[in-house]
Amino acid sequence: MKKYEILEHTADLKMRAFGRTKEELFLNMLLGMTNSLRAEIKKQKSKIKKIKIKSLNLSNLLVDFLSEALYLTQINREIYNKIKFKKFTDIKLEVELIGQKVERFSEDIKAVTYHDLDVRQRKDGTWEATVLFDI
Amino acid sequence: MIAKKDFKKLSEWLWEIPQSFRQDMRVPARIYVSEKMLEDTFGDKSIDQLVNVATLPGITKYSLAMPDIHEGYGFPIGGVAAMDISTGVISPGGVGYDINCGVRALKSNLEQKEAQPFLDKLAIKIQREVPSGLGRGRQIKLDTTSVNKILEGGVKRLVEKGFGEKEDIESCESEGQLPQADASTVSEKAKNRGRDQVGTLGSGNHFLEIQKVEKIFEEEVAKIFGLFPDQILIMIHTGSRGLGHQIATDYIREMMRAMLKYGIILPDRELAASPINSPEGKGYFSAMACGANYAWANRQMITHYVRKAWTDVLGSQASSLELLYDVAHNIAKIEEHEVNGKPKKLVVHRKGATRAFPPQHPEIPKKYQKVGQPVIIPGTMGTASYILVGTEKSKEAWYTVCHGAGRVMSRHAAIRSFPGNQVVQNLETKGIIVKYWGLRGIAEEAPGAYKDVDDVVEVIHSSGLSKKVARLVPLAVIKGE
Repeated sequence: MKKYEILEHTADLKMRAFGRTKEELFLNMLLGMTNSLRAEIKKQKSKIKKIKIKSLNLSNLLVDFLSEALYLTQINREIYNKIKFKKFTDIKLEVELIGQKVERFSEDIKAVTYHDLDVRQRKDGTWEATVLFDI
Repeated sequence: MIAKKDFKKLSEWLWEIPQSFRQDMRVPARIYVSEKMLEDTFGDKSIDQLVNVATLPGITKYSLAMPDIHEGYGFPIGGVAAMDISTGVISPGGVGYDINCGVRALKSNLEQKEAQPFLDKLAIKIQREVPSGLGRGRQIKLDTTSVNKILEGGVKRLVEKGFGEKEDIESCESEGQLPQADASTVSEKAKNRGRDQVGTLGSGNHFLEIQKVEKIFEEEVAKIFGLFPDQILIMIHTGSRGLGHQIATDYIREMMRAMLKYGIILPDRELAASPINSPEGKGYFSAMACGANYAWANRQMITHYVRKAWTDVLGSQASSLELLYDVAHNIAKIEEHEVNGKPKKLVVHRKGATRAFPPQHPEIPKKYQKVGQPVIIPGTMGTASYILVGTEKSKEAWYTVCHGAGRVMSRHAAIRSFPGNQVVQNLETKGIIVKYWGLRGIAEEAPGAYKDVDDVVEVIHSSGLSKKVARLVPLAVIKGE
């Protein structure tokens, strides 16, 4: 299964991610976001950060989760490519992000937006989501 | 789908979608474009977004778009909306994530021929002095108390600390400081993101250019602005960096919840808004003002580094770089405008749009009172930029004009269409020095991905919203380390 793809958008970064489960969907969108920063990774032991979020609904939860991960990425100069789910409902999430220290980023993502946001379960039971990042 | 038939032509340069077009519109939607450019706007959702803005509570007279309009999130980029201060809403989507993204121009007293031998060295030195903030460049980490002082003091705080001249303050829009700023309305997260980014350029369309005055259109005004043919200028385009982005993220999230409480229903989530007088509205306005002040301080710090590079390379014989003006193009401000013959306080949202006050306006520096506010319109990398001057005619647009060229092609498409090394080669063939970190960033910002800045500025000039004073062309393009 494809993890994510980049869609056409005039000024910003529009991304569609896929997953067999909601967990995988959240992970693949996170990977899409962090890969877009095109970071140079320092060879170091892995870093772990905890996140706890409550949102209005599942799609807002995805955006709020990505915003939190982006914040941690920028503040700690780390990128995260694994998620350990502790709790996960449609409005609540408690996870550990696992990643590495970064030497430099080549791109900047300003923010994760709610614009044209879409999270859905497809007929075959798999998930897909579309998110627009302001860059 | 919105089509040309839905528009009423008000003049050669102004088109209107009447309020009757969609039931939820509170006012008409207007766009300043030529007929040809109007048709080009149908390629994305920008006009739908312009119509969406016309549904916001308290919007006064019309929702407006400038000729550099393109699709944003919530508001279109190039969008302007003035809300009644007592009945209206404030929307973070009407300002954008990059609060007070803006541009300033520094002028020298050198002509191109005098500076030419030093240009390459100067470009290298500037690149070294002004980090992008993404890489290994200079990193100074401030404590929260210092960040708070910048949030509330803006440019004034930096000048106080020795990073600039007193004259820099009056040469900034709002003197580089919005008084409504209250640092306690800004989250710790936002402050954390701001601790090491004062004096950083960022990436994307943000740039630093060494330019020259290629043409003067209004001699008398140019003289008052201190501009002359072949003069070397330096232009800085950046905003509030991660701190501003976090303020927008925090408050959009909060307002989404608050809208349920206030019963506000809007056609797009990114328009999330709250009454200006509500706790959420007031909180956002104070925090946004902090973000704006941070952005002004950021451009001031970069100015300090550029001046240092300038003196290091050209020596003390070169006179200092003087600030022509600094304008914000992503901001909401309380301004007094005339509505139905009476003065009224409005909250003017400008998202990718520039304030352009006319002669005699009390909010512009004394030295420019006679002619009007300098308006700086940056072009795209490697193309022309303009200095214009505000006019009385732009009263109809809340004294506002465009902010740049406006994208027409996605970054992705730009990378496919314009190989980075070819873009660099084209610039170098034109004699432009390019100092950059990655070729990809150069490809994304290729001039071909944007509207023609000359066309955009022509609409502003011909419609009378502002008058062209000078056309500037780049000699060196610098992207930070």
